[in-house]
Formats: sequence, structure tokens, C-alpha cells
Amino acid sequence: MNKVLAVARWEYFEKVKSKAFLIGLLVTPILMIAMGVLPGFFASQEDEESRVVGVIDATGKLIAPFAERFQTRYLLNNGVPNYVVMPLAVGPNINLDAARSDAAMRVSRDEIEGFFVVTGSDSVVEYHSKVVGDFRIAYRIEETIKEILAQERVRTLGLAPGILEQLEVHLNVRTVKLSAEGEKEDAGFETVFISAYVFLMMLFLLIITSGQMLVRSVIEEKSNRIVEVLVSSCSPTELMAGKVLGLSALGLTQMAFWAVIGVALSAKFGVTFVALDQGLLLLLYFILGYLFYAAVFIGAGSPFNTEQEAQQITSYLVLFLVLPIVVAVPAMKNPDALWIQILSYVPLLTPTMMALRIPIQMPSVWEILSTVLVMLVSIYGAMIVAGRIFRIGILSTGKSPSLKELFRWIRTG
Amino acid sequence: MLDVVDLTKRFTTTLAVDGVSFRVGRGEIFGLLGPNGAGKTTTIRMILHILEPDGGTVTYEGLPFSEATRNMVGYLPEERGLYKKSRLLDTLLYFGELRGLSRNHARERAGAWLKRLDLHGQEQRRVEEFSKGNQQKVQFVASVMHDPPLVILDEPFSGLDPVNQLLFKDVFQELKQQGKAIIFSTHQMDQAERLSDSICLINKGRVVLGGPVRDVKKRYGKNTLHVEFDGDGAFMENLAGVHRALLYERSAELELTSDTAPRAIIEQINPRVDLRKVELLEPSLHSIFLQVVGGPAPHNGEGGQTR
Repeated sequence: MNKVLAVARWEYFEKVKSKAFLIGLLVTPILMIAMGVLPGFFASQEDEESRVVGVIDATGKLIAPFAERFQTRYLLNNGVPNYVVMPLAVGPNINLDAARSDAAMRVSRDEIEGFFVVTGSDSVVEYHSKVVGDFRIAYRIEETIKEILAQERVRTLGLAPGILEQLEVHLNVRTVKLSAEGEKEDAGFETVFISAYVFLMMLFLLIITSGQMLVRSVIEEKSNRIVEVLVSSCSPTELMAGKVLGLSALGLTQMAFWAVIGVALSAKFGVTFVALDQGLLLLLYFILGYLFYAAVFIGAGSPFNTEQEAQQITSYLVLFLVLPIVVAVPAMKNPDALWIQILSYVPLLTPTMMALRIPIQMPSVWEILSTVLVMLVSIYGAMIVAGRIFRIGILSTGKSPSLKELFRWIRTG
Repeated sequence: MLDVVDLTKRFTTTLAVDGVSFRVGRGEIFGLLGPNGAGKTTTIRMILHILEPDGGTVTYEGLPFSEATRNMVGYLPEERGLYKKSRLLDTLLYFGELRGLSRNHARERAGAWLKRLDLHGQEQRRVEEFSKGNQQKVQFVASVMHDPPLVILDEPFSGLDPVNQLLFKDVFQELKQQGKAIIFSTHQMDQAERLSDSICLINKGRVVLGGPVRDVKKRYGKNTLHVEFDGDGAFMENLAGVHRALLYERSAELELTSDTAPRAIIEQINPRVDLRKVELLEPSLHSIFLQVVGGPAPHNGEGGQTR
């Protein structure tokens, strides 16, 4: 047991002191925050200069009301109109194709930001621009034209001019999440989505980085033959147990650090990501997942002699970890779906699936108990299998073993 | 101290070690010899319980392998590996703890050994900053700092400069005087000859020669002329009456056929080179090694290691 602790202590402190660990510790939360905040930040960024929008209007009637509304409604911060409307071709007799190509030239010469075409034949309005991803301008054009057309109809139908305002209904749906005790707490979709995502990503990153650290340390010891000294000093089981223990402590350190950052941030911005009971449950799945994957990584990595060879196998493991991120959106829409429940019992997926589900909707008690049980059994089994591969794998050099040989190692271990 | 009985190990198709037996006593330096691929390292790994033998037993002071006997052995592997990024003292403390030392005791022992090997004051340097020879010293300290009664060193001299080779030899003698059993493997016979009390020569997995060095050499009789000279000695291997010749730049070892008088050979050599020294001795271990393992055939061949 002392030797297990000696190995664990070594693995822990040598890794904690390494630059890679420090960088991972700091960079990950920065990345996560950046990923969460930056897209929204850039999307909501206001224009700083007026943009010129060209109009080709085959009806000849839309241009005037559009220009008036569009230039007065959307203003820059300094009060200048955000958009300048430039009529390019107006009237029923214009050649649409010629007008389009002429306008396209202007766009390519950067004279105008983009242009839209009202053909008049149906209710289609085309918007042409270099940046089709700029959905805000398209949305604004659409809104403005809709209003004009609606008022046009009000007039032709002979309705009262103020009728549109009266018809408009304002409705805000406030989502209230019911927790197990029946307490109500406000939880907007974004909060749930973000917190589920954050936990998933954290679990994912933690398992990947420490799994790879584990494989790297085994392969380093193999390639410089330190492993001979190690296994002549202690049993392979002790060595493996020490490594798993040391790296688990490392993972918990990392998590604790991130949790402190998370709590500090959420306190500052007044967002509560997760309640305490959820937090503890997540921590439990974190640890279970961590231990299980540690065994899997050791088993998958120790037969190989170079990191590249090992990575070919361990990158498949990454796929299992990514899967819950892929199914996150459908899972949020319907967290009770049978397939989600079934996936929760696949040991490779259990921790991440549960990390995904817990913030969305707390799974039932028996589901939690049974998945924890599944994980405990799987960890036990995985440790035994990994231990057998490890025992032989760490001493094997030369050619990587075939699958058949691996099974023989596991059987004879 | 160590009894190896009938040790056997088979790898899928080849018999790597085939019924190897020997014993090493306290205060004895034991040379495990053999050409590359003879099974030396496999034998060592079985003694260390890194590999499970297919047959045979290893006992330490009469005890079968157990967790307790692990700490009775110190091991310097052939391929030198250390954690490059780690600090010297941390590394030694770790290895010490793995061999059952308390942290404080490990610190004390590491300090004493580093002093003995002229590495004190460098405890906080990273392993990668040390020269190859010094890294080897560090590894040596790691293998002996827990004061094991049995020390196993796989090719301890490879990669050491002459000064450090001398230092290692002195340290070996000190360990011997402390009553430790030392096993070292090598394929450099001159080293083995100068250093070991007993040897065991392994070839193709089998023990082909063993026992105290003196006895082994006696068995081969005093029929070898050790000659030192100036001039071209290439003709010597073709002389009638020379069974086998090991030619070096300015010396030669001539094994005579049993019916040849040494004097007859000297008379043939004398006019053709400037003789500086002639001695009739037992063959060197190197010569015995080639004889047993199958070196150059009589009256033919390149004549061993030239230097």
C-alpha cells in the first residue's frame, strides 16, 4: 500500500509541477468562457459606419416607404442612420437581369454592402450580399417590407389605420423548471443548455487530457525502460493503482480549481448554473467516469510502444466522449426519450449522458442508483482487464500485439 | 544469497533460457557472461520477477519470491532510463520509496551516495541536464540506495568513461566488502576477468561454463602464449602448432595444440617481429569465451577483437 501511495504521490506532483498541467488548468476555463461569450458578443456588436443598401424595385411602389422607414428606424450610436438606401433600378419596365448584374458589380467594387430585389411577381424578396451570414440585415429588411405590405393591405381592405397595432399580441413565455421537491426555480433555456454543455465539456476535457497523460506516462516508462525498475520494485497492480490514484487526484485538483472559477463567475453575474444536490451528483459521475476511463486508457495504451500507435486507439475513445455532445440538443428537447435512457447504461457513455441529463431534468432515483451500480461494476471489470493487459503490455516491446494476442493476455492474466 | 535452479523461459517459438542454474554468495562478485542474445537479460528479469519463469526456482537467502524479497534486490537495467524532466533528488526519493525506504531515510541515503559519486550539490537539477555518465551514476544510486543484499547490474560499464569505470569498480569492491552479492552482466570478457570472483557463461540459453574464475581458467590449462611485440604479426595465426590465435595490434594470444612445445613457436616468431614479452599462461576469459561459444575456427579467421 505504501508503494501505491509512493507511485500516486510521484504521478501527482510530477504532473502538477509540469507546465502542460498549468497551461491546461488556466487555458481551459478561458477557452470555455470565450466559447460561451464571444459568439454572442460579436453577433450583437453594432455597426460603426453607415452601410449602403441597394434596391431594385420592379413594383416601383415599395422604394419610397422602405427608404423612409429603413433610414429612420435603424440608427447608429451617434444618431446617424445605420443604412443608406440607394435606388438602383425602379419601375415596372426595368430589365431585372441587367439590373442584377449591374448591382452585383457595385457590390464587388464595395460601393454597396448588398442589394435586394423586389420582383413583384410573388412575395419573394431576394437579398444579395457578399456576406450572406449577416442575418441581421436580412432580418431587418424582411421586417420593414412586411410592415409596409401589411399597411398596404390594411389600406386596400379599408380597415382602420391603427388596426395593426391593436392586432399585435405581446407574449412572453417564462420557463419554470420544477425540481424534485416541487420547488420552482426560474431556469431559462439558455441557462440549462449552457450549464449542461459546460459540464459535458469539462468532463470531456478532463478525461481526454488525463487519459492521454496516463498513456503518455506509461509509454514513456516503457520506452526508456524505467518500467523494469518499477516492476522489480513493486507489483504491476500496485503500479497501476498508484497511477490511477495519482491522476484521479490530479483530475479532482483541476476540477476544484475550475469549480472555484465557476462559482466566482456565477456569483458575479448572478447566474446559478446548478444546485448543490445536482453538483454533488455530477461530482459522483465525474469520479466514476474518470476512474472508468482511466482503466480503459491504461488497457488501450499500455500494449503500445509509441504515443502515435496508442493514439490511434485512444482517439476512438474520444468519439465515445463526443457522442453526448452531439446528442445534447435532441436530449434537451426530450430528456425522457427511451434511447437516451438506454444510452445512459452504456458504461462508456454513462458519465457524460448523466452529466447532460442532470441539469436538464433530474433522472429518477432508481435510474441514478442503477447507473451508479453499472459504473461500479464496469470500473471493477475494466480495472481487472486493464491490469492484465498492463502487466504484460508494459514489458512488451517491438511489434504491437494483435487483437488475438490481447485476448490471450486478458484470459491468462 | 541467491540460488537459481533450473530456470527456463520459452518465448512463443524459442527457448530463451534453458535450465540455467547458479548460486551467488555474499561478498561475491558474479559475472554473468555471454554473447548478445544469449539469455542474460531474460535470466536477470526472471531473478527480478519481472518475468515469470516457465520452470525452475529462484530463492533469496532461501526464501521464495515475495513482496519482502523485492526490497532485498537492487537493479540497474541495461537500457538507461530516468524521468528526464524531474529533479535529481525527487527521482531518487521516489525510487527509494518504491524499494521500501521511508522518505527521510531515502533522503539521508541519497545524500550519502551522491557524495560518494561526486554528485552532491546538484540535487535540484533536472535529470536531463546531466551528462550520460552522470545519469548512469544517478541510476546506480537508485539501484543501491536501499542497501540491498543483492545488487544486479546489467552491463554496468557500457557508456562510462575510464575515470567513471574506475570509480564504479571501486564502489563494487566496497559493496563486496560490505558482504553484498553483486551480479553483473557483460560481454566484455577482460572486464569480467579483472572483476569477478565467479562467472557463468551462457550461450543460446544454456550454461556452458561456470564456477570461480581461477578454476575455469585452470580447466583450460597453461597452453597459451601471450606475446607482445612490434611489427606485423599477421602470420602467427597460420603457424603450425597454433590451434587458435587472437591477434591484436601489438599483442597476440596463441593457443597451442597439445603436442606443440612453446619454445618451437617462439623460435618461429622471434626472427620476424621484435618481441617485447612472452608469457606462457592460462588462456584469457576472452579466449575461452570464443572457444566455447565458437569463435574463429583454428588457423583461420580474423582473430577476435582488434584494438
